[in-house]
Amino acid sequence: MSVEDGDSSPDEIELRLGAELTNLPIIRSLTSSIAMRADYDLDAIADMKLAVDEACSTLITRAAPNAALSCVFKVSKDEIRFVVSTRSTSDGRPSNDSFGWRVLTTLTDHADSWVEPDGGQHLVHIEVAKRRADGPA
Amino acid sequence: MTDDAGSKGSKGSKGSKDSKADRENSETGYEHLAPLFEQMAALDENDPDRAELRNKLVTGHLPLAEHIAARFSNRGVPREDLVQVATLGLINAVDRFQPDRGTDFLSFAVPTVMGEVRRHFRDASWSMHVPRRLKELNLAINSASAELSQRLGRAPTPSELARHLDLSQEQVYEGLEAGNAYHSMSLDEALSPDVDSDSLGEQLGETDTALDGVDDYESLRPLIERLPERERMILTLRFFRHMTQTQIADRIGISQMHVSRLLARTLEQLREGMLSDED
Repeated sequence: MSVEDGDSSPDEIELRLGAELTNLPIIRSLTSSIAMRADYDLDAIADMKLAVDEACSTLITRAAPNAALSCVFKVSKDEIRFVVSTRSTSDGRPSNDSFGWRVLTTLTDHADSWVEPDGGQHLVHIEVAKRRADGPA
Repeated sequence: MTDDAGSKGSKGSKGSKDSKADRENSETGYEHLAPLFEQMAALDENDPDRAELRNKLVTGHLPLAEHIAARFSNRGVPREDLVQVATLGLINAVDRFQPDRGTDFLSFAVPTVMGEVRRHFRDASWSMHVPRRLKELNLAINSASAELSQRLGRAPTPSELARHLDLSQEQVYEGLEAGNAYHSMSLDEALSPDVDSDSLGEQLGETDTALDGVDDYESLRPLIERLPERERMILTLRFFRHMTQTQIADRIGISQMHVSRLLARTLEQLREGMLSDED
């Protein structure tokens, strides 16, 4: 999940920063920039920003002290896929019945979350994907 | 109330006749207002007379807000904005002042109003730095976006906007980003009246049923109820009626970018509210 792996596909963008709410504006503006350049319509750009905001906020509040937040965007012809991950002391998965989850599923075409063990702690991930609307040529 | 207070505020900037007359009769010009606070405090929360007293207190103290606004003028923020912010601070001060605490209103209100103006400078600092060119670009994009949305039946893409405005895509990106930097809420917004509640009545019941399956419903509900009507309506339309931001913008009569900002802020407030709820 990080630079040390060396490999990246050309359409992959990764941002790694402290899991702090104050970092949200940086993630938000990167999201906006990516969706704009992928020529998504203004509604889709706004939705993607809100969804990324929501996913990151959810993880930041679960992050272990001093944990990093990793944000990976994959831009393809049909969709933008976003995976955010952080280290947490809890192995609880973000609830699929919460209002926050409804926000994610309303704003995107796909939302998922999973947890994997990481040493004594846990890596929590949220993934969302937004497809390109059919309209524009 | 705010329209009323706002327009009087800007007109009376050089000291209105009223306040001049007041000053001749007393030291600060506001003494005659002090008893109104006690009258207001004595009234029941829902007493209709309260609103009237509150209005009198705000209007009567407007010269104070103007005076403080003037101290911050010529720093790149339009004077009318400053007067509005100061007025907002004044309204907060009137609402929060407790006459039984022994301090007089002015020593309570001055720091409150100054704090509000300072906060505005902090929040709105971009408005001094975003070049006029970008602001105009952003406005042009905004109106082109409204026009194209009408024609296309959906929000336009940056490339469509570029073609329509005869601009490069990079320019459109720049203009859109300037919109993101736009200070999150203009004051007219903070002070603007709520949407008419007639159109709203039908929506709100629906929020309740739509929230049925949500497990944090109990903690969410009071937070949603506390939202201003328009924000609540936008939230409902987006997440329970599945309308797009462009459709909501059209329905409410504001721009899509504005809906976007309001929605982002509302979600943030709900998240914050849920967090503090857990503590």
